[in-house]
Amino acid sequence: MTDAPPTVPPGRHEQARPVPAGGEAGLVPAPTVTTYPMTFTGQAGEYFRIWIVNSALTIVTLGLYLPWARVRQRQYFYGHTWVDGHNFEYTANPLALLRGYLVVGALFLAYSLALNVQFRGWEYVAGVIGLAYVVLYPWLVMKSLRFLAVSTTHRGLRFRHYGKAGGAYAAYGLANLASGLTAGLALPWAWFMQRRYQVENAAYGDARATFRGDVGHFYVIGLTGLAVAIGGGVLLGVGGFLLVALLTGVLDSLGGDVLNGPISTATLVMIGALYLAFLALYAVAWQYVRAATMRSVLNGVEIGGVVRTGATFSPWRLVWIGVSNTAAQVLTLGLATPWAAVRRARYVVSGVQVRAITPLDDFAASQAPPENALGEAATELLDINLGF
Amino acid sequence: MTSPEPSPTLSLSGVAFDGRSSRDRAATLDVSGDVAVLRVEGGESRWPLAGVRIEPPVPGVRRVLKFPDGSRFETGDDAGVTRLEARTGRNRALGGVRRLEARWWTALGALALTLAFAWAFVVFGIPALARTAATATPRPVLATFDRETIQFLEGQGYLAPSRLSAARQRQLQAEFRRVTAWAGGSYPYRLLLRDGEPGDAPFQIGANAFALPNGTVVMTDQLVALSRSDRELLGVLAHETGHVTGRHGLAGVYQGLGLTLLSVAVTGDLISAGTFAAAVPAALLRNGYSRAAETQADETAGRYLMRAYGTTKPLRDILARLEEDDREADENSVHESSRTEDLLQTHPGTAGRIRHLREIEARGR
Repeated sequence: MTDAPPTVPPGRHEQARPVPAGGEAGLVPAPTVTTYPMTFTGQAGEYFRIWIVNSALTIVTLGLYLPWARVRQRQYFYGHTWVDGHNFEYTANPLALLRGYLVVGALFLAYSLALNVQFRGWEYVAGVIGLAYVVLYPWLVMKSLRFLAVSTTHRGLRFRHYGKAGGAYAAYGLANLASGLTAGLALPWAWFMQRRYQVENAAYGDARATFRGDVGHFYVIGLTGLAVAIGGGVLLGVGGFLLVALLTGVLDSLGGDVLNGPISTATLVMIGALYLAFLALYAVAWQYVRAATMRSVLNGVEIGGVVRTGATFSPWRLVWIGVSNTAAQVLTLGLATPWAAVRRARYVVSGVQVRAITPLDDFAASQAPPENALGEAATELLDINLGF
Repeated sequence: MTSPEPSPTLSLSGVAFDGRSSRDRAATLDVSGDVAVLRVEGGESRWPLAGVRIEPPVPGVRRVLKFPDGSRFETGDDAGVTRLEARTGRNRALGGVRRLEARWWTALGALALTLAFAWAFVVFGIPALARTAATATPRPVLATFDRETIQFLEGQGYLAPSRLSAARQRQLQAEFRRVTAWAGGSYPYRLLLRDGEPGDAPFQIGANAFALPNGTVVMTDQLVALSRSDRELLGVLAHETGHVTGRHGLAGVYQGLGLTLLSVAVTGDLISAGTFAAAVPAALLRNGYSRAAETQADETAGRYLMRAYGTTKPLRDILARLEEDDREADENSVHESSRTEDLLQTHPGTAGRIRHLREIEARGR
């Protein structure tokens, strides 16, 4: 347990809920903290059927159904995530997403054609689109966060994101630039800025969220990831070198000219294995960073001063789930994707708790204006990493 | 529910939220005729059914009905909501999707359909699209392609001026014009004779010949040296004109693009480990397309050789010599390669190509 200790005695699971005699009753000496575990009730078999049917419909409609498929898949995961007897709801309008997909898809197609075919004036087309992407990236992230939040409902109240362009350009533009200029030294600081931007601007109903995380934690995570990458790389390098030396020796003694002849099958296999090993190492280090960051962020979120989220899942277990999921997906040519997604969601969600000093039915909201889906479409298609 | 009588009252029980607070209240919803009545403790609200939004069903998830004032009603009574949908004709499309998702046999049907589509798209769709796009590509683009490629190869030192005598070069150029006159297609054909093994090249092209989309054909001195008669070289040059008239070079570029887009569609995003993993199958497929193009170009060369000499042996011999890298080799020195080796190559196995050329000769007789 690395949860920051609450200032009050921690609650127990399923502790009897306090009966509020008026939710906003002023100074209660020691508020009772109630812990609500999150649960995930999705089933791999059920989700497989949804996934494959919607994928087939997407293919048959030449991609036009894609937004409906994405919304449905997401609705399944939101709908099966429960807190205190109520589930979440994803309410994005597929038509709005379709417009965004078409715009982003057309731009991406133009960019790929320009790079690959090099028609007259291709430099300008590719240059303008590439530059627009770089310049608009933080703005797209902001739009995406706002859309994602307003499309999420729990207990009849929408989440909101009040992020402004200025903050997005600081967190996703300047911070990334700084980490590039300092050769990665500022990278954990950039992560911190980005997560803080995400959380501090978020709100549930009218209750604003605050972020209690600190930048030091992100440096610990970054250094651990780096240590894993370097340590593993050295081990792999030494092991690979020994293996090559050994094999060359054996082949030489057999009289084959491995080094002079055309590349032999054995060498090819070895290069392939090393390539895969380094890819796996990179994936492990990166997944560790993502999992540990997610845990750290979830441990630092406070909503409206009355609710805190906590995470008890183990980042290393999540890395293992990620790696074994990828292996299963590759071996089944992608057919295990739904099983992998459900497995991961179940582990993550069951390791998240909500601790509250007021009942969860005590939040309120005013009307939220709609958000457009362009940023969401861009982040979905271009894999902009929001970190969750 | 197709009863012609006034439909009976439908009663659902669940919870309601008013949309302004997170408080859940036990509630019932009664629908009769065109009116929905939402009853919560201490009050009720009436809505015309037309203004009530029924959220499409998601398997295993509570059904949600939304009212114009932002309030909502949630119920586990899926059957009841489904009856309401049938009565009002809502969510027909997504309700149908839900029925497809509910059964294993429809899901397996969707799986079979997906695999069939993916297979057909890779085998027929991408090559056909690429061919169409390559045929539609205007000539100036082809010219740019040729110019840039040659500039790159010469600028990087892969190709150097030929060491052949001027007379020998003139002779080969004259023979090349005979082939191109036969090949047609009104491309601005030109033959570049180049040294493929300049001392400082980072990678030796060696004995080789290749065609660029706009009719530029490069043949190296090393290939000329490997040949034992000009008939063999003409066979190679005819093969290269086959690539030009078939627009294989450009089709290859489009096929690569199509495969990139496909792997994006499959893995769901542009830049990720999944995309890297998909790069290997994509490369294998690209090699498959390339082997098909080689076979087609061999067909062209075979036709030329049959017309000019009545035999495809010259091309068979030089293919064998290229394979063995031995000036003394001929078509009988080549052994069959394994299928996995074929999979990794951009050209069909030499043994297979020789067999193909023999078939062309047998057909021509």
